[in-house]
Amino acid sequence: MSHLPTERLAALVDEAPTAAELAHLTSCPECARERAAYQAVADLAGTEANRIGTPLTTWEALAPSLVADGVIDDGRGLRLRTRSAKRPWLQAAAAVLLLSGGVVAGRWSVRTTTPATTSTVAEKPDSLPTFSTVQDARDAQARAQSMYQTATAYLAQQDTSGRAIESPSAMRARLAALDRARDAMGEALNEAPYDPVINNYYLSTIGQREATMRRLNTVLPASMKMTSY
Amino acid sequence: MRVTNLLKMENEPLIIRRAVDGDERALRALWTRHAPHIDMVVRRLVGGDVDAAADIAQEVWIQIFRALPSYRGDSQFSTWAHRIAVNRTLNALRRTRRLASVETEVHEDSAAVEPDHDRSFVAESIEAAAAKLSPGARAVFMLHDVEGYTHEEIADALGITTGGSKSQLFKARAKLRSLLAHLVDVKHVGLSRKDTEHVAPAY
Repeated sequence: MSHLPTERLAALVDEAPTAAELAHLTSCPECARERAAYQAVADLAGTEANRIGTPLTTWEALAPSLVADGVIDDGRGLRLRTRSAKRPWLQAAAAVLLLSGGVVAGRWSVRTTTPATTSTVAEKPDSLPTFSTVQDARDAQARAQSMYQTATAYLAQQDTSGRAIESPSAMRARLAALDRARDAMGEALNEAPYDPVINNYYLSTIGQREATMRRLNTVLPASMKMTSY
Repeated sequence: MRVTNLLKMENEPLIIRRAVDGDERALRALWTRHAPHIDMVVRRLVGGDVDAAADIAQEVWIQIFRALPSYRGDSQFSTWAHRIAVNRTLNALRRTRRLASVETEVHEDSAAVEPDHDRSFVAESIEAAAAKLSPGARAVFMLHDVEGYTHEEIADALGITTGGSKSQLFKARAKLRSLLAHLVDVKHVGLSRKDTEHVAPAY
């Protein structure tokens, strides 16, 4: 019997050989090696399924499309929901907590940044806006939230002033604290799964946690990726 | 504690519920968690054109989030999103004619395989080697050997016959075997135990 054709050897990765092919494979080291090589290709492919890589997408590019699509609720009534609309007091409380939480988190993450570099949108306490309608307040909430998230993302990328202070050990401590906060909010959600205030805190905690992990990876040596803390 | 375990501990059903409600942070949390895997699926199917892959990955994520209200939790979110990624990528490739007439590629590939050229290219990975395949052969190989689709599922997804799917797969493996010779060549082999137990009837 002549050597097995290339495509037949490729097929034997997932097909059984005939008796004649088996007899040939037993006596022909060359075909046996080729068959093993094809099996190795398939094995390599099998490991490929679990491989992950740097995302091709960025959230900054994705978010505007999702807003335009109405997938992201930008606070402009694109996806009004009955549940939240019935509880305006909870939304107002969420707005206050989110903004105050944002201020605290912001000062925490940029504590060494000088006021001059962050005051382009700052207002005096006595110039805080007042709202005449719920929609006005919602719009302001959405703008503030968006601005905070954008500023945080920018600072995470660009701000180098706080990195000397934000040592890996300090960030690991922050991660541990955020884990505890996440666990506490997770338990609270079991009792009040639809509470928007708790939901906001929970998601904020997760967001800060992921940002901290990303930043921790940037301050570690290039050869060392964080797998534990 | 390993980061991967921590991520799994997050309450994904809750995040999904908030994402359906349009909460950007929840949507972003889903994207952050699954983009490294989903985008890789797109990259593998598209091949070496990173710009095209990025455009398709963007479409894939928009489709995933649009379809999120229909996610019932019958399977893992990652499995559900993965299926959307494969289907959407194949549609996009078909739209850009990269997958047009896969059947005819079976014949074209026979002439297109250039052993001498293959030998001059040393691929460092399956991904790099697969980028050298024709779009049709790459799609079949990735779907079968990497994603675990059956030939029937591939035939259905690509609009070809199961025979065409098998033929594409075997040609793809042959080319990859050549491109990855430095990784897959073995010196000594014996018959596997499977062979001694199961022998196909003569045909």
